[in-house]
Amino acid sequence: MATSWPKKRRLIGSKIQRLDGPAKAAGKAKYSYDINRKGMLHAVLLRSPHAHAKIKSLDSGDAEKMPGVKAVYAIKKAGDELFWAGEEILALAADNEEHALDAVRAVKIEYIVLPHLVKEEDALKNDPQTVSAMGGKRNNVQPAMEAASGGFEKGMADAAVTVEGSYGVPTVCHQCLESHGLVAEWGADGGLTVWASTQAVTGTAVALAQYFSGKYKLDLPANKVKCITHYMGGGFGSKFGPDIQGLVAAELARQAQAPVKLMLDRASEITAGGCRPSAYGKVRVGAAKDGKVTAYEVDCYGTAGTQASATVTFNALPYVYPFEYKRKHTRIRTNAQVQRAMRAPNHPQNCALTEFILDDLAAKLGMDPMQLRLKNLPQNDLEKAKTAPHSLDALKNTIYTREIEIAAALSKWKDKWHPPGKTAGVVKHGIGMALHTWGGQATPQRNECTVIITADGSVTARTSTQDLGTGQRTVTALITAEILGLEPEQIALQFGESPNGASSGSGGSTTIPSQAPATLRAATAARDELFAKIAPKLESKAEDLSIEHGKVVNRSKGKSWSWKDACSRLGDEQVKATGFWTIGESLKPENKDVSSSGVGGVQIAEVMVDTETGVVRCTQIVAVQDCGLVVNPLTCESQVAGGVIMGLNYALFEERIMDRVTGRQVNPDMEFYKLGGIEDMPKIIVHLHDMPERGVIGVGEPPVISTHAAIGNAIFNAIGARVPHTPFTPERVLAALAAKGGNK
Amino acid sequence: MNDTRERNHHKAGLSRRDFLRTSGAAAATAAALAEAPPALAEEAPAKIVAKAIGPEPIKLTLDVNDAAMTTHVEPRVTLLDALRNYLDVTGCKRVCDRGTCGACTVMVDGKPIYSCTMLALEAEGKKIKTAESLIDGGKLDAVPAAFAKHDAQQCGFCTPGFVVAMRAAFDKNPNATPAEIEEALSGNICRCGTYQQMRDAIAALCKNQRKGD
Repeated sequence: MATSWPKKRRLIGSKIQRLDGPAKAAGKAKYSYDINRKGMLHAVLLRSPHAHAKIKSLDSGDAEKMPGVKAVYAIKKAGDELFWAGEEILALAADNEEHALDAVRAVKIEYIVLPHLVKEEDALKNDPQTVSAMGGKRNNVQPAMEAASGGFEKGMADAAVTVEGSYGVPTVCHQCLESHGLVAEWGADGGLTVWASTQAVTGTAVALAQYFSGKYKLDLPANKVKCITHYMGGGFGSKFGPDIQGLVAAELARQAQAPVKLMLDRASEITAGGCRPSAYGKVRVGAAKDGKVTAYEVDCYGTAGTQASATVTFNALPYVYPFEYKRKHTRIRTNAQVQRAMRAPNHPQNCALTEFILDDLAAKLGMDPMQLRLKNLPQNDLEKAKTAPHSLDALKNTIYTREIEIAAALSKWKDKWHPPGKTAGVVKHGIGMALHTWGGQATPQRNECTVIITADGSVTARTSTQDLGTGQRTVTALITAEILGLEPEQIALQFGESPNGASSGSGGSTTIPSQAPATLRAATAARDELFAKIAPKLESKAEDLSIEHGKVVNRSKGKSWSWKDACSRLGDEQVKATGFWTIGESLKPENKDVSSSGVGGVQIAEVMVDTETGVVRCTQIVAVQDCGLVVNPLTCESQVAGGVIMGLNYALFEERIMDRVTGRQVNPDMEFYKLGGIEDMPKIIVHLHDMPERGVIGVGEPPVISTHAAIGNAIFNAIGARVPHTPFTPERVLAALAAKGGNK
Repeated sequence: MNDTRERNHHKAGLSRRDFLRTSGAAAATAAALAEAPPALAEEAPAKIVAKAIGPEPIKLTLDVNDAAMTTHVEPRVTLLDALRNYLDVTGCKRVCDRGTCGACTVMVDGKPIYSCTMLALEAEGKKIKTAESLIDGGKLDAVPAAFAKHDAQQCGFCTPGFVVAMRAAFDKNPNATPAEIEEALSGNICRCGTYQQMRDAIAALCKNQRKGD
């Protein structure tokens, strides 16, 4: 049966308050960190203090005898090699946290300290083999990825002007406020329950089931593992699966036969809980005199820690713009935690390596950088338009052009833009812009929602999916309420528990496009089942029944029944219907425009730069964002503004600083790993470019991507000098001014 | 209130003053001193022989959201950990655990403090209010209600700390301006980026307060 959004929408598209708002604001919402079980033990991890070492000896005998210790689990053993400061060695659980902390200090361990490299530039130059073997060899530097388009050489040769620059962004940390971790409890039936801080409720349950049934030959199918995540205190891409601390907590709980809580402390959260990899590169562009770019070249490198992952989205360089290209990327392995997906993985890096040089080029050509961008936008794909008229490919030029127009009007770009560095005074105003893109389609994995209607008129929507703070819970309720003619508060929600049905992890902005259609289908099927069951009792044909606000109506008979009255005809029956969705469903012709993929996005930032102190203050950001059909504009705007703020933090404050000598991070905290507070915030103007005809698209990630590039370009516009690396600290701003010859 | 006298009669109970005489500073909680340190002893009556407390747990009664809550904790346990780990009061969150982020903010005798920087036994005899005190059955205080209405929260983990800090600021000055409220929140950090919506909540609250004059 074909699926489609209702044409007349009462709730979808209206600002609906977050249903869990009061519980969260008044501290009543229970996060995984807040779970206290009877007889619960507290676990602590012992981590490597060295960036590279071999364990000479490991003896936990004394620790086991310490007061309150109930279980010890060794992750590593003597002879094992450790490759980063923070790597997990051993865990123990005690009756309280104080005892656990005392006991872990009583573990006797000796290390043979080995050479390490934690800085990209050191690891790039040297090859002293500080990392594990890969392909039989210990190499810090992996073979470069290289590619070029057919027209690159000609494009560069034809260029009337060329510009070069070096740009980069450092490693930054996810810094989730609720740290990673969980509470694990084994039941008398041999099943396992975990309260996990995770972005993947079902994935975590499956991973735990596989680990324990494999390791101990337990009869532990996934349906005997229950993962509960009612509330989640921030993930941003770093919280998929149980992680090592989750497995270890469950191991300790099994050993001690008691519930165990293991949440990372702040330093561990930062050094081991996830980071976005760095990217630095030389970029060169060639262009015609009218600003049309003829070729783009990038040679970049970055580190994802001990792993050899790319730190840019290689096939999307240049970013957004379809330039002729030559690209090279070198993956550098260093002695630091492995990167994790972070809100639009690698897109902020791609954006910086593309957007900064466009303003440098515009300056060289004496052009307004907005005009230069308009000249270089991708075109609409006319072939795609025939088969998929609502796809991003078919609409790229249309979407970006319109979004730039909207952003220009909201920011008063025409009045405010001036040639770079051409304003008088010590504190200088600047304005800059950048573009971004993202996917945000449903997942290949099945997502389900079940809607239950009972004879007393109560309605329950049940799903295993998690609400990370995006407002997914509210979306589920409001869609159900829309279809059944009720209010969102009337829908009882069973959310964030793995037995509730299939769902995928919340990554890639996929949750709303996966879950919203499943809810739509479940609620629609429940409505139809209700009609079928009660029609005879209403002396109507099921097909004559319809829903209006708060009632069931038979238009042909001109009769109506209140929702409660209608449901009461169920007698001792109930209605229960499950809907599912996948990317496969979304691609079926009969389901078109329910969910789709691909968004644009334009941001314009304004700054004031003090040329005497180097202090940058961002005063305003305009964010224009499309995401297809906007289900709840209230929480959607919050997502966009939140992305902008995270992007502003990247621009002005955030950097993981590694110490060359000790190999440790020197700022694994919140006083020197800086995040902005309310007084640091600019005015943020969010404009949702609503395109309901495209269906639902996720929006969690795209708004974070281009903010740092827009701010960097605004600083360039203010002072006429490029600050090449984020964060744009006073020191770096002053260095850029000095390189240019001061504030002239 | 009869708490101070009772506590001082209790075997393991100590007033904050006694505690300071005994251990000298918050950092030295586990130190077992036979006598008061000389510098502090000067002001102490000559006959008092200071008792060493800890490291074993002591009985502690805290006044949390108008309820007397009793537990046993080691003297080194912070107010935050006593509330969360021993009394199951979890509206105050542990994030940085070193006085930077404000997620653990509670009111102690009406003042907003980082509960991770106060020892639990220092809080004895004081009135402790957490975010949970701002909801009474279904009735929500104006501050958390404004957070909910204006969507000034996403993951919500920092939110109770912000709510308590803002409630304390309005209690101190009901006519506070938005700029003054922002200043009062400058010791709190949000990662999801809810400050724009928080400003909407602040604007509405300041306006309502003025109307109420």
